[in-house]
Amino acid sequence: MTPPVPVITVENLSKSYPMGFWRKRVPVLSGLSFTVLPNEIVGFLGPNGAGKTTTIKILNHLAFPDSGRVTLFGEEAGKSPNLRRRIGFMPEQPYFYEYLTGREFLALCGRLCGMERDAIVARSREMFDRIGLAGAEDKAIRKYSKGMMQRLGLAQALLHDPELVILDEPMSGLDPMGRMEIRNVIRDLRAAGKTVFFSSHIVSDVEALCDRVIMILKGEKVAEDTVGELMGCEILYVEIVLSPSPPPAVLFGCGIPPEAVSVQGSAVVLRAPDVDEANRWVDLSRAAGARVCSLTPAKRHLEDVYVARVEAGRRDGNR
Amino acid sequence: MLTGMLSVAANTFRETIRNKILYAILAFALFVIGMTTFLANLSFGDLARVVVDLGLASIHLFGVVMAVFIGITLVSQEIDRKTVYIILSKPVPRWEFVLGKALGLCATLGLITFFMAVVLYLVHAGYRYGQTTEPGIFVAAAGIYMELVLLTCLASFFSTFTTPVLSAIFTLSMFLIGHITRELLFFGGKSGSPAAAWLGKAIYYLLPNLEIFNFKNVAVYGLARSASLLLLPLAYMLSYCAAVLLLACVIFSRKDFK
Ligand SMILES: Nc1ncnc2c1ncn2[C@@H]1O[C@H](COP(=O)(O)OP(=O)(O)OP(=O)(O)O)[C@@H](O)[C@H]1O
Ligand SMILES: [Mg+2]
Repeated sequence: MTPPVPVITVENLSKSYPMGFWRKRVPVLSGLSFTVLPNEIVGFLGPNGAGKTTTIKILNHLAFPDSGRVTLFGEEAGKSPNLRRRIGFMPEQPYFYEYLTGREFLALCGRLCGMERDAIVARSREMFDRIGLAGAEDKAIRKYSKGMMQRLGLAQALLHDPELVILDEPMSGLDPMGRMEIRNVIRDLRAAGKTVFFSSHIVSDVEALCDRVIMILKGEKVAEDTVGELMGCEILYVEIVLSPSPPPAVLFGCGIPPEAVSVQGSAVVLRAPDVDEANRWVDLSRAAGARVCSLTPAKRHLEDVYVARVEAGRRDGNR
Repeated sequence: MLTGMLSVAANTFRETIRNKILYAILAFALFVIGMTTFLANLSFGDLARVVVDLGLASIHLFGVVMAVFIGITLVSQEIDRKTVYIILSKPVPRWEFVLGKALGLCATLGLITFFMAVVLYLVHAGYRYGQTTEPGIFVAAAGIYMELVLLTCLASFFSTFTTPVLSAIFTLSMFLIGHITRELLFFGGKSGSPAAAWLGKAIYYLLPNLEIFNFKNVAVYGLARSASLLLLPLAYMLSYCAAVLLLACVIFSRKDFK
């Protein structure tokens, strides 16, 4: 079986912006490469100013790279406008024609995508319900709140039922309900066989949603992997709760290091550095008369991995 | 075919028609046209002619104000507010966007110029107690409209690469110079210096000759009775606009949105 044609391939993308008085070109992206496969949900992480929006603009042919290549569905990006019919895009902090109502705006988007009038009406109604904007259809966009704009941004990206959806910070500015709704929309897209590529600062959303994560720092990729792989099977520590337990001094006596022991109410909590150590300590403490009440391996959150990578990257950068 | 351009044009038409500034200018223009009957009574000569003269002058002036000050914001505002990202991420080629924006404003200006011309026609006819009417008003207004279309294209062209303020300055300069190109050619030739003559010629052929659209005096003397007068200016306007818009499309297609 031939491998599927990637939906997005980015090869060696570089881009610089002229900055300061001398218009010196400062690199924003340097040699960025990654791929997104069909029906994947890929999260795009990076601190402020890492180059996420720049990359996404290049994917949408709004900005042009200094060098490197972008293909979408195996075709050179920007070659044919028809390619864009297969893509839905929501820009960062979207802003729309404020003199239109939500319904008029979606109608305009539908016409620009070459949709039929009936399809536009039906799809708009569906989108308003799906995206949590029902009731605001005939309100002027001028009167929309930030979160409503964000939702409308998603609605226009999905209106023409694109195969690839690119979202720049879809969750920013949303209340918890809104975030949940958007997470559900993204999950539905996966179920419908679509591909989603989105940037976000909300790492827990990325962790919950994405098949794979691409992390960039100062325009360079620092990680590209599945969420599971990134978070690792690696266990940070194992927490053992003993209750009832002999006094800590007895445990110290059996060879459990004092810094790993803490007393919480009537229970004693041990923090073992790894699984083997945890097993040994369980034996020791049970021999000392303790009852093991729970044993929890603490895994990393994507957030920890992200922070660690960003800090490591910053240290490398400063060296 | 061209659905992108037509949708953008329709949307721009809607945008400009919902623009409150437009109505402020229009209200003022209508007020001035109404006032011409009053002013005419204060002046000498054929009073009805004064109505036509002043009326057409105000249509011209206010039309230019609308064309320039809305024209310069057409593209730049979309870039500033980033609405352009949404439109261009749809299957719309960039040149269709530029043409659609200009077309939409031209439609609005057409409607408004026609409306002002009708008002002037009625005011003039009313001044004459309906005994005579002056259809030349429509010929002259059509000339004015062609000039407005040309200025709109210039304003859109400038706004694809400079700030609104600079676009306004450039377009207004083009407007002012455009009405004296013939004089520049004449004085350039007179000066005796080959450089000045060459410069005069260059300006004459490069910058728009807006006097070609001026049928105001012809209309005032009741001589603008045939629409065939407009054919040559129309051909000139279309070719000039085509060239300017072509440049605008080329520049806009290469634009890197930051
Ligand atoms: N128009 C511009 N001119 C000059 N520099 C720019 C321009 N746009 C972006 N940059 C620079 O490019 C870098 C990357 O910006 P980008 O907007 O892609 O970051 P980001 O990852 O999207 O950040 P955020 O999380 O804050 O949205 C930043 O250092 C920024 O200063
Ligand atoms: Mg960004």
